[in-house]
Amino acid sequence: MAAELWAEFADPLLLERAIPRLRSLGARRFDAHVPFDWPALAVALGLKRPRLLPRAVFVAAAVGALFAVTLIWWTAARSYPLNVGGRPLDSLPTDIPIAFETAVLFSASTAFVLGLGLGGMPRLHQKRDVLPNFTRVSIDRFWVGVLDAPANAAAFEHAFREAGALRVVTLNPEQRP
Amino acid sequence: MTQEAAYLSTVPVRPAGGLQERELLLTAANDQALTDELLGKIFHPPPWLDRSIVITGLLSLSLFGAIAYTLTTGIGTWGVTIPVAWGFAITNFVWWIGIGHAGTFISAFLLLLEQKWRVSINRFAEAMTLFALMQAAVFPLLHLGRAWFFYWLVPYPNEMHIWPQFRSSLTWDVAAVSTYFTVSLLFWYFGLIPDLAAARDRAPERWRRRAYGVFALGWSGSASDWHRHRISYGLLAGIAAPLVISVHSVVSMDFSIGILPGWHSTIFPPYFVAGAIYSGFALVLTLLIPVRRLYRLEHVVTTAHLEKMAIMLMITGLIVTYAYGVETYLAWLGGDPFEMNNALHVRPLGRYAFLTWVVVFCNCVAPQSLWLRFVRRSPLALFVLSLVIQLGMWLERFVLIVSSQSADFLPSATHGFVPSAIDYALLGGTLCFFCFLFLLFLRFVPFIPISELKALRLELRRGMHGS
Repeated sequence: MAAELWAEFADPLLLERAIPRLRSLGARRFDAHVPFDWPALAVALGLKRPRLLPRAVFVAAAVGALFAVTLIWWTAARSYPLNVGGRPLDSLPTDIPIAFETAVLFSASTAFVLGLGLGGMPRLHQKRDVLPNFTRVSIDRFWVGVLDAPANAAAFEHAFREAGALRVVTLNPEQRP
Repeated sequence: MTQEAAYLSTVPVRPAGGLQERELLLTAANDQALTDELLGKIFHPPPWLDRSIVITGLLSLSLFGAIAYTLTTGIGTWGVTIPVAWGFAITNFVWWIGIGHAGTFISAFLLLLEQKWRVSINRFAEAMTLFALMQAAVFPLLHLGRAWFFYWLVPYPNEMHIWPQFRSSLTWDVAAVSTYFTVSLLFWYFGLIPDLAAARDRAPERWRRRAYGVFALGWSGSASDWHRHRISYGLLAGIAAPLVISVHSVVSMDFSIGILPGWHSTIFPPYFVAGAIYSGFALVLTLLIPVRRLYRLEHVVTTAHLEKMAIMLMITGLIVTYAYGVETYLAWLGGDPFEMNNALHVRPLGRYAFLTWVVVFCNCVAPQSLWLRFVRRSPLALFVLSLVIQLGMWLERFVLIVSSQSADFLPSATHGFVPSAIDYALLGGTLCFFCFLFLLFLRFVPFIPISELKALRLELRRGMHGS
């Protein structure tokens, strides 16, 4: 496992400009910890759109709707058929509101659980324990790390400092959480 | 020169379309100062806040007293009787549910439409949604009569093999309202997590750091977390947007699937949804304007925000006015004598005529003042107008619900509705309880989305410097 090289910036625009420089020096795998989200960051880091999440949400919606329609049909037409004024025991139009709501409930719950869970949340241990002054990352500090810092880490460090990093920290494998 | 104008004069103007955007954040503070200022509102609350929480908490006891009395004695303690079996309770239910809609509208629709002015106010409006839904849920539960059997509305396996009647709109309400509350809560909490992490990292006391730390779920602000957060948040917004439309549509079906004159109309779903967003925006303004003033947030919730909301109020008000017209026109066009009697005689000239015209004034006439720019930008005028509109929307539901039942098909069934003291206690109690919950929210939760505001600041910086 390679060492990681992390740099702290006070300005997101400086961080954004640092990444292409590092990339030109051979860095391939990046991570960052930042106080807020802005679309250019994901582009600079080369983050791909997660494929599982939207698909899982769609499947959950379909399962929810199917579950509701099946439940209504089984309870109203099979388990305890009750004739109310000669109306059909089960009809799709009257199933629509509940099927829709169940689809929404299932899909939203899935988006919530996977949105957090795929990243390993809830978590108790994080980089805050090893990077200095890391608590300011939720306030106004922007950390970017090269995860595959090879032997020429000195060049990376120089590039970071040239780009305006406040400090550069090397994390050895045994230091990482 | 006002503080706002003084700041604007120092900020460079974007070449195209920048004027409106730069008005959304009127501060030169850096990220740290902005975070500290906004978190300081909850770490060092103003002295009036705790007193207000105690007072509204005590006043909320009227709600719990009225609920206890209703549960132990029965809903005969209310003013409802035959033919007016739905009185204050269902009026309050529809009104409170409707109010919640603006919160989800601001969070979901405006997010999908990439409207930046939602940023400062969305959390506020979402909290309002949650608390309004809590008030709304009280009424149908009590209206069941034997509220302790509410779980019969949920399909759970039981030894009698008896299931809820899914052809009844009551079960649709249960599904719609419980789903709406759950999704609103998830949406609100999901957006809150980064700010809870900021509160965790900045809180002065250990107990606060621990409490916010638990609710922040170990958020570390990693780029992949943010990336996933943005996509999930967008998905939740996409899911919540049709949900907003569906919930009040389902509520409106409680009426439109009935055969009473004045209720049996296909216009109800869009009519109810527009009315819901209308009353919701009015309540956002009612809450936002005093909070903005008391917390000195004029640089974060700016006049531009108020103006945008005023425009929304005007648009939804026009839709509601149009719906009133169409409702009356369709009753006449349909030729059904009972519908015509309701629309052309009972409402404008009958027992509740005064209230009907108050509704028309509050919901259709008064908002026309919003055509004037100085009204749209005046906090005082908007505050007064928002109260007028809420009164109008509550009375609209009251007239709709009560007038149709009080004069339906038979002259012998004509009977008015007189609310009881318990009815008033429940209405007043829910208002106090809502305020109590809202003040607690202001006391403990970062009520301005700090991380989103910082992102907006970066975007404005980038735009201004052309980078």
